[in-house]
Amino acid sequence: MNQWEVFVMDMSELAEGKDIELSIRTLNPGLQKYTYKRVRAQVSSSLDKFADRLQVRLGRGQLSAAKYSIKVIEEIQRMPAKYL
Amino acid sequence: MSKISAPRSNREFIEACVRHGDAVRIKQEVDWENEAGAIVRRACELGAAAPFMEKIKDYPGFSYFGAPLSTYRRMAISLGMDPASSLPEIGAEYLKRTNSEPIAPVVIDRKDAPCKENILRGKDVDLCKLPVPLVHDGDGGRYVGTWHAVVTKHPVRGDVNWGMYRQMMFDGRTMSGAVFPFSDLGKQLSEYYLPRGEAAPFATAIGLSPLAAMAACAPSPIPEPELVGMLSGEPARLVKCETNDLEVPADAEIIIEGVICPDYKVEEGPFGEYTGYRTSPRDFRVTFRVDCITYRNNATMTISNMGVPQDEGQLLRSFSLGLELEKLLRSQGIPITGVYMHPRSTHHMMIVGVKPAYTGIAQQIAQLAFGSKLGPWFHMVMVVDDQTDIYNWDEVYHAFCTRCHPENGIHVYRNTTGTPLYPFATPHERKYSIGSKVLFDCLWPVDWDKTNDVPTLVSFKNVYPKDIQERVLKNWESYGYPQAK
Repeated sequence: MNQWEVFVMDMSELAEGKDIELSIRTLNPGLQKYTYKRVRAQVSSSLDKFADRLQVRLGRGQLSAAKYSIKVIEEIQRMPAKYL
Repeated sequence: MSKISAPRSNREFIEACVRHGDAVRIKQEVDWENEAGAIVRRACELGAAAPFMEKIKDYPGFSYFGAPLSTYRRMAISLGMDPASSLPEIGAEYLKRTNSEPIAPVVIDRKDAPCKENILRGKDVDLCKLPVPLVHDGDGGRYVGTWHAVVTKHPVRGDVNWGMYRQMMFDGRTMSGAVFPFSDLGKQLSEYYLPRGEAAPFATAIGLSPLAAMAACAPSPIPEPELVGMLSGEPARLVKCETNDLEVPADAEIIIEGVICPDYKVEEGPFGEYTGYRTSPRDFRVTFRVDCITYRNNATMTISNMGVPQDEGQLLRSFSLGLELEKLLRSQGIPITGVYMHPRSTHHMMIVGVKPAYTGIAQQIAQLAFGSKLGPWFHMVMVVDDQTDIYNWDEVYHAFCTRCHPENGIHVYRNTTGTPLYPFATPHERKYSIGSKVLFDCLWPVDWDKTNDVPTLVSFKNVYPKDIQERVLKNWESYGYPQAK
């Protein structure tokens, strides 16, 4: 099980039942902890629905009590090719 | 100028601080995740010695040096002065050195540059190989740059800029940073690189000599490499980057090279800020793509932990911003006694002492200060007379509460340039960097009759004849009082 975290300004950004794009950071222990990926994913407030866990922080870093499960469908490369 | 013996590198500075009791060596292992940040924060809030953390979890061979310049003692050490020097003495020395002739830097050979002892290129480039700390719990990421210099050069004019723009590790090859549009780098990006869609070369230097860090933090018009030379009394030692034409401090602990992507932004923040709050929300900000990392053996990463007073963001910025504003006002011939920004104001209030020579002098001061390039960084100007000690908050506060007329002495300036970091600003104002400013004019009006209209200050020094003052001072202990400090 992977642990992820997301920052949102509003909980409505975590729409359930459809694919959404998020920047999530890994909370798995190790040197990569707190690094980000841009992903297409599905989230659910049911912790049993998906294998991975998603913790939520609000815009100024406040930890939300809400917990989600998440399924990462694919990683998205946003950076323009000229910079890669 | 007499020979200056200031620390020439971060390592010499740490040794000097340890020698004077202004740094402690922490031998036990410290976690990069929150623990190191918490140590630095507590040291700042206590005004304690700077922590030199010699063993970092997961990162053998690296160390941290926190709160490098969060006290005036360490600022004095950085300038090669007696650590017990007073603030006015440190300020006078800063002004003397920064009014001297510029000293051009020297570029040394790569093989002589300590920062080239280890070089990561290509697939080896990974910011996770550096002990990037999570400074505050709840920050948007691990911050690579909290006490550093982002080096850039204007592609046409050739102006070199070292700026302290915070940088967050987004992933192993990407950083995001807060670069305000009114900053030197912000202007460079918007006027040149963004319209062309061209990448802007940058280099981030971490673990600088304290005077190089001071130069990067100071809002001086003097190019930072020359400013370092003026502050230290000898040329700064620079070396060419591996992947671009920029020159970086050769004795820095870590150099991160790459390009700024002007037309592509990624998320940055939130981050604990110098105001003592996390004010600006997470947002899409400037992206730095990393191409190369070089570092010294046993590299030390410097950490500034911004929050409630006092940290170096407040102390050094208040110091240098105040003195640069003093230079500005003196250049206009205004008869000021000095300018002071108390660190606890988080450099939001500029206190000016002036001889009230003519009507409107306080407004003239405020308009010059607010209208200058430095104006977005503060929003309060308080003007007191030349008899008030600007460094003595008791005197300044008394003047403010008794001489500032609630209607005639307070002047508000609307729709000025602000920053997203102002805690009092509305969300709309933060989003569009809309500011407002206020002047507190604590001068007696010039058209008041000095004998009949101006109230008499009732103080020991002001209302008693000199012979009575001398008698009381001479007999103070015989009256039964302990010796006055």
